[in-house]
Amino acid sequence: MEFRIAADELKRALYRAQGIVERKTTMPILSNVLITATKTAVQVTAFDLDVGVVSEHFAEVTKQGSITVSARTLFDIVQNVPEQQLTIRKLPNHYAEILSGTAHFKIVGMSPDEYPKLPREDDAPSVTVSGEVLLEMIRKTSFAISSDETRYILNGVFFEPHPTEKVRMVATDGHRLALVERSMPGDFKLKGGVIIPRKGLLELKRLLEEAPDAECHLGFAMNSALFKKKGLTMVMRLIDGQFPEYQRVIPKEGDRKVQLNRVRFLEALRRTALLSVDKSNAVKLTLTENQLRLTSQNPDLGEAKDDLDVAFNGAEITIGFNARYLSDVLSSLDDDEVVLELGDEHSPGVLHAPGDRSYTAVVMPMRV
Amino acid sequence: MDSPRAILHLDMDAFYASVEQRDDPALRGRPVIVGGHPKRGVVLAASYQVRPFGVRSAMPMARALRLAPDAVVVPPRFTAYAEASEQVFAIFERYTPLVEPLSLDEAFLDVSGSRSLFGLPGALASRIRAEVAREVGLPCSAGIAAVKFVAKVASDLAKPDGQREVPVAETQAFLAPLPVARLWGVGPKLEATLFALGLRTVGDVARASPEFLFEQLGDMGRHLAALARGEDDRPVVPDRQAKSIGAEDTFAEDTASPEVLQRALHAQALRVGRRLRRAGLRARTVQLKVKLSDFTLFTRRRTLESATDDGQRLYREAVKLLVRLRLSSAVRLTGVSAQELVGDRSQLGLFAEPEARTDRLNAALDAIAARYGQGAVTPADVASLEADTEEDEARRRVGGARFDVPPDR
Repeated sequence: MEFRIAADELKRALYRAQGIVERKTTMPILSNVLITATKTAVQVTAFDLDVGVVSEHFAEVTKQGSITVSARTLFDIVQNVPEQQLTIRKLPNHYAEILSGTAHFKIVGMSPDEYPKLPREDDAPSVTVSGEVLLEMIRKTSFAISSDETRYILNGVFFEPHPTEKVRMVATDGHRLALVERSMPGDFKLKGGVIIPRKGLLELKRLLEEAPDAECHLGFAMNSALFKKKGLTMVMRLIDGQFPEYQRVIPKEGDRKVQLNRVRFLEALRRTALLSVDKSNAVKLTLTENQLRLTSQNPDLGEAKDDLDVAFNGAEITIGFNARYLSDVLSSLDDDEVVLELGDEHSPGVLHAPGDRSYTAVVMPMRV
Repeated sequence: MDSPRAILHLDMDAFYASVEQRDDPALRGRPVIVGGHPKRGVVLAASYQVRPFGVRSAMPMARALRLAPDAVVVPPRFTAYAEASEQVFAIFERYTPLVEPLSLDEAFLDVSGSRSLFGLPGALASRIRAEVAREVGLPCSAGIAAVKFVAKVASDLAKPDGQREVPVAETQAFLAPLPVARLWGVGPKLEATLFALGLRTVGDVARASPEFLFEQLGDMGRHLAALARGEDDRPVVPDRQAKSIGAEDTFAEDTASPEVLQRALHAQALRVGRRLRRAGLRARTVQLKVKLSDFTLFTRRRTLESATDDGQRLYREAVKLLVRLRLSSAVRLTGVSAQELVGDRSQLGLFAEPEARTDRLNAALDAIAARYGQGAVTPADVASLEADTEEDEARRRVGGARFDVPPDR
């Protein structure tokens, strides 16, 4: 195998690979990339058995074939080569040689036959989707994914197509939940929904951010999701299990409803949380006539208070929240105003844009 | 510099034996050994009347009975000890929240902040000991010092039924004549190494140059040099701040019986559950500890789906771990500990908590125990453990109370 390629082109592929390959693994080959030279192009594959990305890059191929070498080492080399072009050549015993200007590297590789095979889902039914919509949906839900590995069902986002050409994405960690519904016409041929794991989703987010307006295809087959855009294919193993019945925990309409300036609310929460106990981020919200008061206290530090004007004349309430759960939602909303709905002090708070529940977040209170 | 801390080390005297003497007047003033089978068992506790004969805990029963043939042997009643222990700890907690349990019968108390409320640490120690004697009917000893290590040595030297205070200025003089084995971390092997270096007393270590100790013993040398000078900055860590909460017991005699092992784990798991609930904590991980007759130690851990403070659940997990060990030889000690503790119970959950029923059950059991004592409601297997030993006890103490047992004294 031998080919000549632009350093920047290869660097882009290897940068993507860094997020996928495993650094601490019992299977050393999983920290490698697979590089395959075909007649006119070079394919770079990174795969950790759960998430895999294959990208195609233009190159002058003089001899076809493949190698697999450490993703990290190759990335470091490519970042430091003296010329804009470099040549990679396969040597005996799985060594690879990298040449650029005066520089010469010879690095250890492994047999490409040992590189794990990605699931082939070429015939999976796929739907053309807007990268921008998909990106927005990921941004509005991924913060609520549980990082508790023992609750693996919640370690991803529930992706649920609806017959009305809409798709819902829902994430929850058991304390808060984020739901977004957007138009995504097409038939995914799914019965119910699937759970897309956090790591794959965050990689997908990175890929979408590179070029949000590019045409994308998303499909599902067996227990994998398949994402394609020009020159790039991504597969993700889905989380196998039953997502909780999230509809049950979304309250209808709260007894108390206030509209707030989103940024002012966000800033007041951040300020007040500075003096909450330890890392609990506990902030008390007291809603009285035309006023929302935020307070926190810490026996070792002191106390904080901030007031926001609101239009309210219902029954008073004092309720505690983890400020981060609220600010995560406020940061991912785009509107200037936000509606906060409350029931009693043990019922969840609900946040959404005024008159629009297509993006709804539910946050359980804290005992205060 | 900060004002010195005030640390109490409180240690019950011959705990199991004292509980037996308290509950049976016929045993008072007599040489009592709490332990297992005269041939196969070990000594769990020896009353002060039997100690002059050289009997010590952990000694094989056979040897103990050769040393003290007239000693009265009493089988253990773990529930009674656990109950006495809870009462004693409740007294400790009247004076400071900073109580670090070391075992059923031993704790460190940081009373630095209690001085303005309860007076000088020495007076406080007397008060606590008097309350333990009056309310629980058991003797204990106290060591009072600015650091943990010195407090522990002091309580040891004050025994039985005494207390000893070591003011900061006298710490070095107090420690100097003690043998090096008194230093925390010095076992037989390290002791031999220290002897070879010409260091026999704590004073020798204190006088040696820290550089020399570091050169010879590495970090351990640095640690010993600090201890020998009376420096020990370990804080008193109460359960609610602890990294783990555990309970373990040595069997009166080694056993391979699955029923006996499981009963012991059950009692231990329930104890751990109670301590978790009292500290407002839940555990994510359960650890089983098993020590075999030959002192081989096994520990096995398991992470739970969700954190728990339910002793029954800890027990079920511990038994699974035990079964998987496939033990074939006899066991000397078992223990259950709760790890990866999480304290934040203030955040409410979105989905129904599956443990709500057991939470309510445990709250009810805790309330009953608080009012009527730990023995008021006991799981049947743990209770049968007690019933067995009580039967044994009846046989041995009263002799002939049952028609099939001939009187033995």
